[in-house]
Amino acid sequence: MGKIIRACLIVMLLVVSAAVIAGCGGSGSKPDAAKTKDILTVAMGSDAKSLDPQGSRDIFSNQINRQIYDTLLVMDEASNKIVPALAESYKKIDDLTYEFKLRKGVKFHNGEIFKASDVKFTFERAITPAGASIGSLVSNIDVGGIKVVDDYTIIIKLKTPYPGFLAVLSADNLSMLNEKAVKSAGKDYGQNPVGTGKYKFVSWKRGNQIALTRFDDYYGGKSKIKDVVIRIIPEGTNRVIELESGGVDIALDVTTNDVKRVEENKGLQLFRVIDNSVTYMGFNAGKKPFDDIRVRQAFSYAIDTKSVVESAWRGVGKPATGMVAPNLIYADNSLKQHEYNPEKARQLLKEAGYASGLKLEIWTNDRKERIDMAQIMQNMLKEVGVEVEIKVFEWGAYFEKTGKGEHSMFLMSWTVSINDPDQILDPLFNSKNLGAAGNRAFYSNPKVDALIVKAKAMDDGDAKKQAYQEIQQIIMADLPYLPLLNGEQVIGAKKNVKGFKASPGAVHNLFNVSFE
Amino acid sequence: MLKYVFRRILFLVPVILGVTFIVFTMLYLTPGDPAALILGTQASPDQVLLLRQEMGLDQPFIVQYATFLKNLILFQDIGRSYISNSPVLSEIIPAFFITMKLATTAVIFSMVIGIPAGIISAIKPYSLIDTVAMILALIGTSMPIFWLGLLLILLFTVQLNWLPASGYDRIDQMIMPMIALGGLSTAIIARMTRSSMLEVIRQDYIRTVRAKGQTESVIILRHALGNALVPIITVVGLQFGSLLGGAVLTETIFSIPGLGRLMVEAIKMRDFPIVQGGVLVIAIAFCVINLVVDLLYAYVNPRIRSQYK
Repeated sequence: MGKIIRACLIVMLLVVSAAVIAGCGGSGSKPDAAKTKDILTVAMGSDAKSLDPQGSRDIFSNQINRQIYDTLLVMDEASNKIVPALAESYKKIDDLTYEFKLRKGVKFHNGEIFKASDVKFTFERAITPAGASIGSLVSNIDVGGIKVVDDYTIIIKLKTPYPGFLAVLSADNLSMLNEKAVKSAGKDYGQNPVGTGKYKFVSWKRGNQIALTRFDDYYGGKSKIKDVVIRIIPEGTNRVIELESGGVDIALDVTTNDVKRVEENKGLQLFRVIDNSVTYMGFNAGKKPFDDIRVRQAFSYAIDTKSVVESAWRGVGKPATGMVAPNLIYADNSLKQHEYNPEKARQLLKEAGYASGLKLEIWTNDRKERIDMAQIMQNMLKEVGVEVEIKVFEWGAYFEKTGKGEHSMFLMSWTVSINDPDQILDPLFNSKNLGAAGNRAFYSNPKVDALIVKAKAMDDGDAKKQAYQEIQQIIMADLPYLPLLNGEQVIGAKKNVKGFKASPGAVHNLFNVSFE
Repeated sequence: MLKYVFRRILFLVPVILGVTFIVFTMLYLTPGDPAALILGTQASPDQVLLLRQEMGLDQPFIVQYATFLKNLILFQDIGRSYISNSPVLSEIIPAFFITMKLATTAVIFSMVIGIPAGIISAIKPYSLIDTVAMILALIGTSMPIFWLGLLLILLFTVQLNWLPASGYDRIDQMIMPMIALGGLSTAIIARMTRSSMLEVIRQDYIRTVRAKGQTESVIILRHALGNALVPIITVVGLQFGSLLGGAVLTETIFSIPGLGRLMVEAIKMRDFPIVQGGVLVIAIAFCVINLVVDLLYAYVNPRIRSQYK
């Protein structure tokens, strides 16, 4: 009997010790930091969907595509100005016509030379089914009117006057494609990207990692680090643990829970910037009770935005005062935080005929911080006699139901990837976009509609600024949405990482990074 | 025996048809439009409508299902992902093998720990070692995978810095996922082994063997374990099957791009072709495992073998 027990114990012991030995060996065989200075490893929370810039508009795909591709123009985030990239210069011929001079000597990763025909091809493809995801970006461009003057000159025509179109050209999704590469890869182009950017694509292990390497024929200054590996690590805590234990050099999207840990770690640094997203509570102004402006105002008086944001986000982001993110051009940063005054809220509800109270549902998707926000607001609304039930939906269902207007209150956020306030004002507030097209508050104000159209067509300057500020003031008075939070990009990196800058657009350049 | 195997493989056909039909129906009835999700928040309804037509989503349910079946049977083609536009199989097969690797190591781990622990507990019932083993097993069955996973990471990565917190390529990366995923199975197998062994070693024939003067190790390992093995194999088979489909928590915690994670992402994005393909692969794997388990019964137990002839 004793022999069997001993044998069993030995087997179990062997397995455990083998595991431990392998473990120790593993940590010992980790690549030596000093020798791998030529590889930048970045942790990202979700895999890219497609490396075809026209294939998907999600930030994870754009994060990779930014390193591989170039656009005609780029937005200089420090000055909020459009500056040349693949287009060396541009000239406005009339309200609908722009001429671009292209940079010479630019090569694609497959060796092809970048020419005007590639620009034409890129726009033409964007209006085919292959570019369905980015259709709304090019909806203002008259693709049929694009004219190649010579190899390095191209004329782009618009359907309606829209000076903000120059900002659209800086969108990652309108990166320049090579006709030959796209056509030869066919349906598989999304897995075989070819750009003109500082890094070229090497390999993609789905759900695991994407590898890039420096493009030595780049037209401008080369990046300092030779190889970039983007690892997909979905769990926020794991991204930070990998950063702490040396598995990655940069961890994107540090979650609220982990901010402090990175801050307190002497070997790490934290990059933070308020981004271009706004999280808001939408009221369905198309039906009772929110068709009454007094009810919407009452709710805004009942909610203490500052404490909602601080409790749910614990210091990440800041309370929003308007619907246009503060870094965006023409944002009205003079707007004040709305007043928190439960007494006034009760008064307004009484005036609106809800003196005996109100029963409602607040909808949210399953993101933890949003559910927290909903719970805090639930308590605040109880104070003024409003009984709120929280309903949590999975994203697909949430997206569809709110688009159909089945909700009364909902939590959502909107991120603007192009520095142009029209990108949030038109979809969310224009009454031509009711429901699934963006205006999930079913808000309709002819004055706002007219102002949105007018401001969009205006040339940059004070008049345009005034028009945009007027819109922002009206919508804050009408309150179809109650802005709650300006999101923040929080990125952790090792101390020896230099040259990284967090972008409010949530897509970060990796090609300027070097090691100290 | 061969005839039996052949019959069982034929059984796969109605199972797969049933599975595809159920999954197709469920996906069809779930709210959430794939076209709207692909185009994202900033697309116009016209663009969504156009894409729906392009994808064939405007067709009636029966037409969509028939098209799927036709492509599956005639062309062995289950389509391309709605999201990445790459062929479904090119996404599912690598993910399946990663999950397979994870599930296999977890099952081996749980057998190697669970069966000996169960045997020891059975031959020394109510002893200290039995009590400790069974308490551990109770903890093992009660502990949620994600919690165990996080505890392991906290200890071995954060505190001791022995093991990496994510990945799956190297042995050291597989240790924590193996323990996290195999923990529950280990406990279940240990408890099953113990009860099954306890039942067997009290039977008359064991006393007879012992009276004949056989050594204790032969009695336990050949005569007792041989007969106790059938329910253990059943449990191991079931565990293996459920690990294949249910490794999603482990895969998420340890950043392993396996089938579970792929499927969850696909369901979220209403990427129907990937969900269909994934369920198909899991269903087939489950059937194959069941078949292997049934054949193993015959191998370990001559009485069952005689029934197959």
